[in-house]
Amino acid sequence: MFLALKEMRRAKARFGLFMAAIGLLVFLVLFQQSLQNGLLTGFVGGLRNQSAPVLVYSVDGRRNLQGGVVVPDLEQRVRAVEGVGNVGRLSLSTFTAQAGGKQSDAAVVGYEDIALGAPKKLARGRYPASGAEAVANESDAGNGFGIGDVVTLEPGGFPITVVGLARDIQINVTPTLYVQYGTYEAAVRSRFANAATILPNALAVSPAIGVSDAELVRRINAVSSDLDALVRNDAANKAPGVSTVRQSFSVIFLLYGLVVPFITGLFFLIITFQKSSSLTLLRAIGAPARKLIDALLIQVVVVVAGGLALGIALYAPISQQQLGGITLRFESSAVVFWIVLLLFFGLVSSLFSARRVLRIDPITATTGGGAGR
Amino acid sequence: MKLALRELRRRPNRFIIATMVLLLLSMLLMFLGGLIDGLIGNSTGAVRAQSGNLVVFSSDAKDSFLRSRIDADLRARIEAVPGVERTGGIGIIQLGARVPGKGPRELVDTALFGYEFAPKGVAEQPPPLGEVYADSIVKAKGIREGMTIELGAYRSPVTVVGFVSDTNYLGQGALWGSAETWRKVVDDNQSAQRLGEGSFESLIVKTAGSERQVRDAIDAATQGATVTLTRADAANAIPGVKEQRATFNQIIGVTVVIALVVVALFFVLLTVERTALYGVLKAIGASSTTLFAGVVLQALIVTLVASMAGAVLSFALDALIPPGSIPFEMSMGRVVSSTLFLIFAAVVGCAFSLRRVLRIDPASAIGGSL
Repeated sequence: MFLALKEMRRAKARFGLFMAAIGLLVFLVLFQQSLQNGLLTGFVGGLRNQSAPVLVYSVDGRRNLQGGVVVPDLEQRVRAVEGVGNVGRLSLSTFTAQAGGKQSDAAVVGYEDIALGAPKKLARGRYPASGAEAVANESDAGNGFGIGDVVTLEPGGFPITVVGLARDIQINVTPTLYVQYGTYEAAVRSRFANAATILPNALAVSPAIGVSDAELVRRINAVSSDLDALVRNDAANKAPGVSTVRQSFSVIFLLYGLVVPFITGLFFLIITFQKSSSLTLLRAIGAPARKLIDALLIQVVVVVAGGLALGIALYAPISQQQLGGITLRFESSAVVFWIVLLLFFGLVSSLFSARRVLRIDPITATTGGGAGR
Repeated sequence: MKLALRELRRRPNRFIIATMVLLLLSMLLMFLGGLIDGLIGNSTGAVRAQSGNLVVFSSDAKDSFLRSRIDADLRARIEAVPGVERTGGIGIIQLGARVPGKGPRELVDTALFGYEFAPKGVAEQPPPLGEVYADSIVKAKGIREGMTIELGAYRSPVTVVGFVSDTNYLGQGALWGSAETWRKVVDDNQSAQRLGEGSFESLIVKTAGSERQVRDAIDAATQGATVTLTRADAANAIPGVKEQRATFNQIIGVTVVIALVVVALFFVLLTVERTALYGVLKAIGASSTTLFAGVVLQALIVTLVASMAGAVLSFALDALIPPGSIPFEMSMGRVVSSTLFLIFAAVVGCAFSLRRVLRIDPASAIGGSL
């Protein structure tokens, strides 16, 4: 213990560089973890945190809320399915808007019933009661989407007043407004004056008493191959792009995850080579191999822990930022996961050095040679 | 120099782990680069392929094709601007396509473009009503030449009469048809968004004079009713492109810094290990420059080997990724740039060893540990 820490104090540059490398890697991994989660929440948070237990798309919508419409015939067939409790229309349209004195994108989601497609829980304010009112995403409040702000949709100049805020309800990484269905239709007509019928993009459905969400999905999908019913979490997880984002980040995490133990292994292997004469001498004067291995492992833990601390210290302020439309968050579970994983792999990678220490023959102190020879 | 090369040849084991770490870092750089190239290429192909050099949007569209509207009057004002050589209307509709022989739920994501001014690689004369050219990416989804696919919930039929490449829009397989085909499909599937005859979502403009001057002149002539962008700016304005590029470039930058720290760490440790040897070499006349050049040479060789192996593995990964899954696109340009980044990191990283090499006193060879 004493030797291990003393050596580290005396070779600050080399241990410092190593800690910096680990720290940067940890920072990058955690930053990307936040980025991945923020990106996914920005894309599909509105689906995950809406109130309807089941969403029904047309197959043509490709599980993209704005991508397709449910034609009247299909809507009737869904309403007629045995086990359906309530059905509400759900639509999404993206507008150019004036918000907070700036031009911005705004996604407008229209729902018929608070229990069928509106945000599940409000952070502040209230749900729209009458007229052109909306619930907006909490993190967009500072950009002209706060309570009391009036967002004007272009080109028709349609004003919507924000009366409530909810957490993580964005769709397509765009400031999102949840309005009553009548308001939604009026907003669309302000842009497309010729629009005769505005068909819903999806149906929000709840099951009748005694029917599970999964069973309801099965029954609706059995009615027509043009219908695509999904439970709430599937609607979020199977939305276009979600699996691609997850796969891409998984490869990145895997590569970063491999770099850390390699660097740790490399560092301590070289250090062991360099100290081979001293280690041999220590063994010759009676130091047990166990003690030397303990010193090695202490150094590994201290340096990897130092790198982790540095990485987390860099990550903490960044994780409170907004990156474009993406809200980053401090991902506590990811931090714990990577701490455990990297400490474990750090220790595993140092086993090569430990093996070298164990192979030291004290007699070589009298004849020359050592661990590295 | 010879000594450095000989050490690499005779004791390659000493460099294996460093090479492995750099290999992983080079793979990371190439994977991140390939990912951003794939993402952006797959999103912006339709704009990059345009033959015109300017794209005109209505000012309330926030540079979005889907929200932009250019009517016949506005178009006439744009065409009257000096320097405007040619214009062509363009419109898009994004729909799922039903492909013969596929299951009823196995739709292919497509973006149908109605064009007047042919993009690069697409026939100058738009095909007749109901016929389209398709981007070759949809081949992986089972679409073949001569096949009739059905677009949208109303199953508008279009027949694929040929293929073009690198023209996708937001990751969707592009279909290129006449303005009439586009209007018909919009009428069928999204009648609420129907545009009047002669109206398009945007206008592609080819300029005769200075691109910038004509761009400014168009927006001035329309009194701010339009926002005109260069082709590159229009590609950048596609949702997510700018943000993706900035984020990935930052991640690549930090990865290069990590590579730099790793190389520095490795060669500082090697230099420390060789201090006594360098003392002897200096004592028999080797200069600090020669010794440091040897360190740099070793770093360069290790980096090049790691980069080459990284490139081979990245190309193998590219070949293994099924078309249409991860938007990954490896190119020689990306390999070269990643290798150059790593070489830069290696050389700068080595500089950390320079101080140690300079500080070695030749006198230490006498009575040293050797």
